[in-house]
Amino acid sequence: MTAAEASPGAHEQQGASTRANLPRRRLNGNLIGQLVLFSILLGLALVYIYPFLVQIATSLKTDAEATSNPISLFPNVWSWAAYERLFTRSDFPRWITNSAIVTISVTLGRVFFVSLAGYALARLHFRGRGLVFAMLVGVMAVPGVVLLIPKFLVLNQLNLYDTYPGMILPLLVDAAGVFIMKNFFESIPVSVEEQARVDGAGPFRVFWSVVLPMARPALITIVILSFQGSWNELGHFIVSTQSPQLTTLTKGVASLASGQLSAGTQYPIKLAASVIMTIPVAVMFFIFQKRIMNTTEGADKG
Amino acid sequence: MTWLTSRGSLGAGSLALATALVLAGCTSTSPEATPSGTLSPTSSSVGDLTSSNDPLTLLIASSGDSETKSVEAAVAAWSAKTGVQATVEVASDLAQQLAQGFAAGSPPDLFYMSPDALAGFASNGSLKAYGDFLTNKRDFYPALVDNFTVDGNFYCAPKDFSTLALVINTDMWSAAGLTDADIPKTWDDLDAVSAKLTANGHVGLAFGPQFERIGVFTAEAGGGLVVDGKAAVNSDANLTALKYVQSHLQDGTFAYSSDIGAGWGGEAFGKQLAAMVIEGNWITGFMTNDFPDVNFRVAELPAGPGGKGTLQYTNCWGMSADSPNQKAALDLVEYLTAPEQQLTFSAEFGPMPSIASAADAWTVANPTLAAFLAGALYAQYLPSQAGAGDVIADLNSQLESLKDGDPGAILDAEQANLQAVVG
Amino acid sequence: MATPVTTSRRAGSRSHGIRRGERTAGWLFSLPVIVILGVFLFIPVLMAIWVSFSDWNGRGSPLSTSVHFTGLTNYAAVATDGGLAERNLGLALRNNAWYVVLVVPTQTALSLMLAVLVNRAILRGRSFFRTAFYFPSVTSSVAITVLWLFLFSTTGVINKVLSWFGINGPNWFHDARGIVHVALGAVGVNSPPAALANHGLFGIDWWEWLSGPSFAMTAFILMAIFTTSGTFMLLFIAALQNISPEQAEAGALDGANGWQQFWRITLPQLRPTMFTVVTLGLIGTWQVFDQIYTGTKGGPGKTTITPAYLSYQTAFEGQEWGQGSAIAFVLFLIIIAFTLLQRWALRERRLSKRRSFHHQTRGKTS
Repeated sequence: MTAAEASPGAHEQQGASTRANLPRRRLNGNLIGQLVLFSILLGLALVYIYPFLVQIATSLKTDAEATSNPISLFPNVWSWAAYERLFTRSDFPRWITNSAIVTISVTLGRVFFVSLAGYALARLHFRGRGLVFAMLVGVMAVPGVVLLIPKFLVLNQLNLYDTYPGMILPLLVDAAGVFIMKNFFESIPVSVEEQARVDGAGPFRVFWSVVLPMARPALITIVILSFQGSWNELGHFIVSTQSPQLTTLTKGVASLASGQLSAGTQYPIKLAASVIMTIPVAVMFFIFQKRIMNTTEGADKG
Repeated sequence: MTWLTSRGSLGAGSLALATALVLAGCTSTSPEATPSGTLSPTSSSVGDLTSSNDPLTLLIASSGDSETKSVEAAVAAWSAKTGVQATVEVASDLAQQLAQGFAAGSPPDLFYMSPDALAGFASNGSLKAYGDFLTNKRDFYPALVDNFTVDGNFYCAPKDFSTLALVINTDMWSAAGLTDADIPKTWDDLDAVSAKLTANGHVGLAFGPQFERIGVFTAEAGGGLVVDGKAAVNSDANLTALKYVQSHLQDGTFAYSSDIGAGWGGEAFGKQLAAMVIEGNWITGFMTNDFPDVNFRVAELPAGPGGKGTLQYTNCWGMSADSPNQKAALDLVEYLTAPEQQLTFSAEFGPMPSIASAADAWTVANPTLAAFLAGALYAQYLPSQAGAGDVIADLNSQLESLKDGDPGAILDAEQANLQAVVG
Repeated sequence: MATPVTTSRRAGSRSHGIRRGERTAGWLFSLPVIVILGVFLFIPVLMAIWVSFSDWNGRGSPLSTSVHFTGLTNYAAVATDGGLAERNLGLALRNNAWYVVLVVPTQTALSLMLAVLVNRAILRGRSFFRTAFYFPSVTSSVAITVLWLFLFSTTGVINKVLSWFGINGPNWFHDARGIVHVALGAVGVNSPPAALANHGLFGIDWWEWLSGPSFAMTAFILMAIFTTSGTFMLLFIAALQNISPEQAEAGALDGANGWQQFWRITLPQLRPTMFTVVTLGLIGTWQVFDQIYTGTKGGPGKTTITPAYLSYQTAFEGQEWGQGSAIAFVLFLIIIAFTLLQRWALRERRLSKRRSFHHQTRGKTS
């Protein structure tokens, strides 16, 4: 019985996309085994999901109920007070605007620059290509926190401190993104480009009109990673800004947590802020989830 | 809120007050905030004031909405009067935002500055010493001016001051069968009333888990962090005080505000998690604004083995040396420290005016807050030399586990640390 | 069939033919990346190195002439001088070390277990479970920390659940007691032997080093496991789906039960992925900053200070920029050391397993 299933399994090693189509491991047809497995998984999944449900529910409770009845997912008294306070009597809307500005700029910029560089490293031959490659690898090795202080110093020297460019420029490039694009471009057959070059197109034309349109899957990956990375970024915004007009969502919600807007322990308003903050990335996640989860699988080459 | 011009029977009281506060400078057990002569401000901190048309920014650390609104209103009124734009920002972390602002070369023009922060910023030339330019310079209490004088330079105008006192929930007080006569005068009295008041889901006495509150006990035991200019952290008096606090934390009659689910003593009091708290003047505005239904009264803290004791806090309006419009900033400071404005602030969020000329008006307007003022007679300051703040922060981190910890070991460790700073 | 890229070099110089303009284009295309990385990553590192060896006090430019080279003063201040700065670094290292030691193995094991379970599930459920387990990794650490502060508060969900079992939960984020000390205390060991109490490292005696993470840090540890197990689960799922089932079946025919199959056949083949997961875990856990900044800012009792946060705090709050930079580089060295150590520890066995794996797959005809 199992031998018959072995051959479909062997063929599946070819491509990730076909893998999902055939069930490979059945516990010897043991229905009880599957049920046990299912209930364990369900239990674990509930543990993972419940905090987010509580987050939404608590944001709709009153302060007193949040403290007295933390577990229930259905408030006794539905209260929009937290959201009302956030949107009408605080700087929350401005935080959202700032985060949006930065995220959109960074995402667009990264898509463009990272694909350019990835193409250069993959397909164009120029002296120093190896050097650029080594630099990228080296840069990926530097942990982000080491750069907190020095980035502040550099931004200061360049007079970019406390400005939108200061928030956006350093995030515009991401070494990992260059590698993703490079790997993708290397998988496109050279003949396509060579044909275009023979037809008289310059390198940029080849890149822009021929190769880039074919790179949509990888570009979407970059879009997702950039969006997520810049929306959720905190450390960089702490060191690059100080004025309240430039506060982003992450920095703002962090200051809420330490009690700026709400003294001490007013949970509904803090959780409401974190709910709103999570919505865009969650939406993006649910739309692109297949791609996101397949990318991380594909990124692991052992 | 009226400004009484006839002195009457309050004349004697206000005279006593003024004298007391002058004397308070002499009874503080911490030395002047003067580092040991090795630091001198750079040339940019004394001299002419800059002037321009630039708007002003103020950075404050607010105790709550009442303080924020009050300061904003005052600044707006000044702006309207003088035509100079000024904005108020509330810091979520004043120390960090100031440090970052100075390092970046774009600090606020005016900001709250505490004595311990002063040492650090004065030494690297970030501050403008404008005290001598103040027209109302003579009006400030000498003890407060001392706090903000480094190397003979009077850096900034004290904006107000507060002391700590015992704030009591009157409803819980009477529900426990206690009367005016039971207001604790000694530690034994405090034992008795806090035991009686620990019931029905609230604790007898609560305070923040920091030396900034626990220090009242060491003061009452006759100790303190710095005595006669020398570090005296591990004195017997301090040990007695910590053991006293520890025993009460263990038997449940005292509690840290963080342990009962509040961010600070005021919140614990407002949410009725504690029947009494040790807090300063700022609690009055906070309670009126955020918890108007809680009835309270203020009493002097009880005396310990060393007599009465409490802690005193003051902040000043720091001015940055980089500010392009220091003349306007000076004018704003004079406006904000004028008697009328200080009395308004006091009415709106609590602290006591830093100038002698407002003393009797304050006493008249706030008869129920007399305990805060009385505390000024015997209050101590926390040491404010450069580096002392870090030692106190370390002490606080140890005090958070005082309940299960070893007071003697804590004090010994901090003695070494403070000696390295003070001597 | 497309010609391999490398042979085109023989096709002639790059200024003629189809490879014309390539050199310029190559540099131009890479220029934005080079400039931005150079300015905002490379130069900052150089500047930080300079600041860590200098006496810059926070005002004016660090490159001005009034800033002097002071050698190892800053490093000595935080590592050997015996004052508060050294003690703070010691506490930070202790806290972070416990965090690493508890998070990395647990998240690796948990993500592996989730991957195995999800992999065995029927198809429709699989995608739902993958989503459920991966979702926390997508959210911002700030949002999750705020949520965690609520869940682990004195009157929060966790303590409510614990009370159903009769356990009086601690005030998590305000409890500075180390869990190892609490456990030892429960069996009566309350004070250290002299050998532990009188010696130490970085101003912290060995008894304190062994205190375990505080309850507050434990809450952060649970949060780290919650948010990263999903990502690593995906890596393991990909690796599991790359494993051929024939070996497992051969093992079953030889009489191995499910557990032995997993332990001796599947697990060794997951070694490369496990290496990746552990490396990423190490690098990530030594850098924990966002959560501390948002949640506890180092408290209670300095038990959630980490080197990353200490570096930030020393510079941006204490205005000790030289010491802050020194701490950052000490952290950098630690991360490099751990990564190299791990690479060394797993290298030889990894090669040999790989060889044997390839040998086995080459042996099969299919």
